[in-house]
Amino acid sequence: MAGLQEIINKAGSINIDRRKVVGLQVTRNEIPRTSLTPTRNPWRFTIEMPPVLSWWDHRNLVEALDTLDRYSPQIVNFSNSCVSWIWRYQGVLTQNQVNGLTVSSFNGTQLTLSGLVAAGITNGTTLFLANDLIQIGANPYPFTVASTSVVATGSNTITFTVNRPNFLSFGAYNNASITVGPNCNFYLFCPNMPIYKLVPGNQFSFQGVLINNARIEFSDNFTLYEWVGGAA
Amino acid sequence: MENIPAVANNVTQINSAEFVKLTIFNDVSNTANVNVYTFSSSYKSETIGNTTYTPLGGLLAVGAQNRDIRVTSGDTTIALSGVSGNNIFVVLDSKIRGSTVEVLRGFYDANMVLSNTVSRFTGIVTNYGISEDREMLDDNFTVTISASSYKTVLENRIAGRKTNKESWRYFNSSDASMDNVYAISGVQFDFGQDPKSKTVVPGGGGGGGPGRGFEGDEFDR
Repeated sequence: MAGLQEIINKAGSINIDRRKVVGLQVTRNEIPRTSLTPTRNPWRFTIEMPPVLSWWDHRNLVEALDTLDRYSPQIVNFSNSCVSWIWRYQGVLTQNQVNGLTVSSFNGTQLTLSGLVAAGITNGTTLFLANDLIQIGANPYPFTVASTSVVATGSNTITFTVNRPNFLSFGAYNNASITVGPNCNFYLFCPNMPIYKLVPGNQFSFQGVLINNARIEFSDNFTLYEWVGGAA
Repeated sequence: MENIPAVANNVTQINSAEFVKLTIFNDVSNTANVNVYTFSSSYKSETIGNTTYTPLGGLLAVGAQNRDIRVTSGDTTIALSGVSGNNIFVVLDSKIRGSTVEVLRGFYDANMVLSNTVSRFTGIVTNYGISEDREMLDDNFTVTISASSYKTVLENRIAGRKTNKESWRYFNSSDASMDNVYAISGVQFDFGQDPKSKTVVPGGGGGGGPGRGFEGDEFDR
């Protein structure tokens, strides 16, 4: 898939920004006071592209980027083999066991999954480690697990804390299945969509004819911002 | 007196969001004919007092509000997004001026669940503005609503009636209480003696004699 997905797949470096909206004051006696605005805490990725993409091979990419422009979101993930290691699932569940889990409650930052017994998940099983990615149903707004989650004795449910509060509607999360790891989808757009410059070079011969070519240099890094307004 | 537990407990962090309710009265004679718009800076819809505050309304900022102990006149502003929303439509197509504005602040616990709300401002929309900020290819619209507290509204309110025949009979055509005002206007009364004839009321700046005040006086109901 061209567009932002290809930008992620071919990223030279990825900067991840999940900082919250915070007010911070340090009092006269140096006691810090903070205030937090409970936002949807969108994902922000800053992606640096290596200046090695050839014009001939990536005309479909630049056309897709021009079409998306600065206002169109696109569903992407990190499942490509070049980047799948980033969000590798750290728990011990098999895919069938993950498929057997459903969301029974999601209040604030407390996410409860049920169906553990039927899925054959026994006492002491480590479902998730901190920073594991979870997608609820088909909603492309991944949450991360805040800390290690281990099944308690005989329990059919498990409750753990995620990094941001639930902004999905009841119908969107109730009894929804989950996706974990690099297959989780993100809904991103690029508010600063860089423009590109063609630097002549990389000429090649095609059927005996010398073809002019160029490297693509983007004017800036790609700042991808999660399109959280679509979740209601 | 309102209490704000999250602050009163001397915590070092507060999690708070602002909730704005705009009630537009469509018909002066029918107070039930209203449109209610809600905005919040929270991450999800919250129901406070049977009103659901949606986070999708486009709330950009809420101006400062006075929190004086005594009643003071205070104004505030509310900035709304004019981009891909209906906020411009709301202010242009409705009777926005005179609408009621209520601003609440909601406090969240550590799990980001709403635990308390307190009222911060109640007033009336006195004005609105739509601004376009365009720089090169960036084009943004902002809708700003100005609101005054009820005290400001009352200060500017002129009410009552004049103590003359016309004004008095405006409300009750058979009320003859002020019919003789013209006859006694300008007459000096020295109590215990016969009334003197009318005097000429001096021009502006005279400070008003005792017989002048009737027609000019107004009083609040």
